[in-house]
Amino acid sequence: MSAVKRWNPVEALGAWVLESVEDFGGYVRFTTAAVVGIVKPPYRLRLLFKQMEFVGNQSLSIVMITGAFTGMVFAVQSDFAFGKFGARGLIGSTVVLALCRELGPVLTSLMVNGRVGSAFAAELGTMRVTEQIDALESMAIDPIQYLAAPRIGAALLMMPILCAVFDLVGTVGVSYVATQVLGVNPGPFYNRMEWFVDPDDIWGGMLKSAFFGFVLASVGCYRGYNARGGAEGVGQATTRAVVASGVAILVVDYFITLILAPMSVNRV
Amino acid sequence: MGENIRIQGLTKSFGAQKVLAGVDLEVPSGQITCVIGRSGTGKSVLLKILMGLLRPDGGSIVINGVDITKLGDRELLKVRNRFGMVFQNAALFDSMNVFENIAFPVREHERLKEADLKVRVDAALASVGLLEHGHKNPHELSGGMRKRAAVARALVRKPEFLLYDEPTTGLDPIMTAHVDELIRTTQDQTPGLTSLVISHDMHATMQIADKIAMLFEGRVIFEGTGEDVRTTPHPVVRQFVEGRLEGPITL
Repeated sequence: MSAVKRWNPVEALGAWVLESVEDFGGYVRFTTAAVVGIVKPPYRLRLLFKQMEFVGNQSLSIVMITGAFTGMVFAVQSDFAFGKFGARGLIGSTVVLALCRELGPVLTSLMVNGRVGSAFAAELGTMRVTEQIDALESMAIDPIQYLAAPRIGAALLMMPILCAVFDLVGTVGVSYVATQVLGVNPGPFYNRMEWFVDPDDIWGGMLKSAFFGFVLASVGCYRGYNARGGAEGVGQATTRAVVASGVAILVVDYFITLILAPMSVNRV
Repeated sequence: MGENIRIQGLTKSFGAQKVLAGVDLEVPSGQITCVIGRSGTGKSVLLKILMGLLRPDGGSIVINGVDITKLGDRELLKVRNRFGMVFQNAALFDSMNVFENIAFPVREHERLKEADLKVRVDAALASVGLLEHGHKNPHELSGGMRKRAAVARALVRKPEFLLYDEPTTGLDPIMTAHVDELIRTTQDQTPGLTSLVISHDMHATMQIADKIAMLFEGRVIFEGTGEDVRTTPHPVVRQFVEGRLEGPITL
């Protein structure tokens, strides 16, 4: 009999599946508690406003810069594509549709995830390893409600606004580059834009970004809340939070788009 | 006068590892009781169960005739309000200054006017000699001051029971003496307070304890006064107190 255990792929796969299922279950329970914490008193509005300021105001500059340059670069790229068959008048409508329906919510969320999701994970992780979360519990305060609820609530409220800002700045960017730099005729440019882009496109994108905000805030808080083992554990929690939310945002995006798409098929 | 805490047959396992194997202990009111034992013998688990942060697998903890291990979550919150806890590394909230840290539990649980709150917090700060330091952030304080702030925060809601988790671990001898005195004076100045200190610092324990209990292999194997500890022939206690390698405790 050999004392050394041979690596068994089936066993390893099973362990991985078990661990993932357990982790996901933990996430669902944590998030449920946080959502209950948002609805249930006590309402800590001061904490909510503080987080709204952090998620919203402080993300404004990166969202505006990303939005402007995304709109500008898409103007150049679609000029190249549409120029091939003389349809340059469609640049505005196409790019703005793409911005409002897809690029706005997704790019805003990925940028905010890098800033806010990581900060949530690092902050809660540090509080966990320095026993500050235990201290909250010892004072008969529900730490999930105190810490996660305002953060998730703030992301839910601020993400659609940031997304709208992204859409607006991106639209200005594409309009400027197309009409001023590339010399597209402004008449058809704005006419097509008005013709093709519906308020529903904008609302749909903002709704999506609220989902993404929920994902990035809840995953960040969950990872931080369950951080273990000092500085290294906090670092790991932060990395895992950002990676997991980034992937989750793109996966969730596909499914929400599938659900939202039929609603806009019947119009025009 | 407060109430004794009566712990009987307390058990707790994590997976296959049995951490508490039937702890029996009486914590007399109005005194300082120290629970000593090697690191990793379940002392912190015992504290967490007392605070209701962990549920035991079996046994009972009776306070005022009520077994707190059988309570629902809501009643448990009420019980938790009767406890204050001083964490090993103070665990002050670094998003707030010292004053706000101490005001925090009061703000969360009581409706007080800002002026009354200030009186209450200043009194707590003064009792640990930090009245001048309320505006500072936790990271601006020395280790000893942080610990004093933690004591003030634990005391501000006037708990009946004050729990200390390894209060002198990692401190230099002078700071240790300082914290010992802090625990002693806090006990003497607060009528009706019952303190429970978890420690493996034998010297500090001898200085402050009215009663000493030793935890070994998940059970309390010895209870007595400091004098009893000094004179007992119990081989495990002897080895621990004298810090010898040979004896019944193996690494």
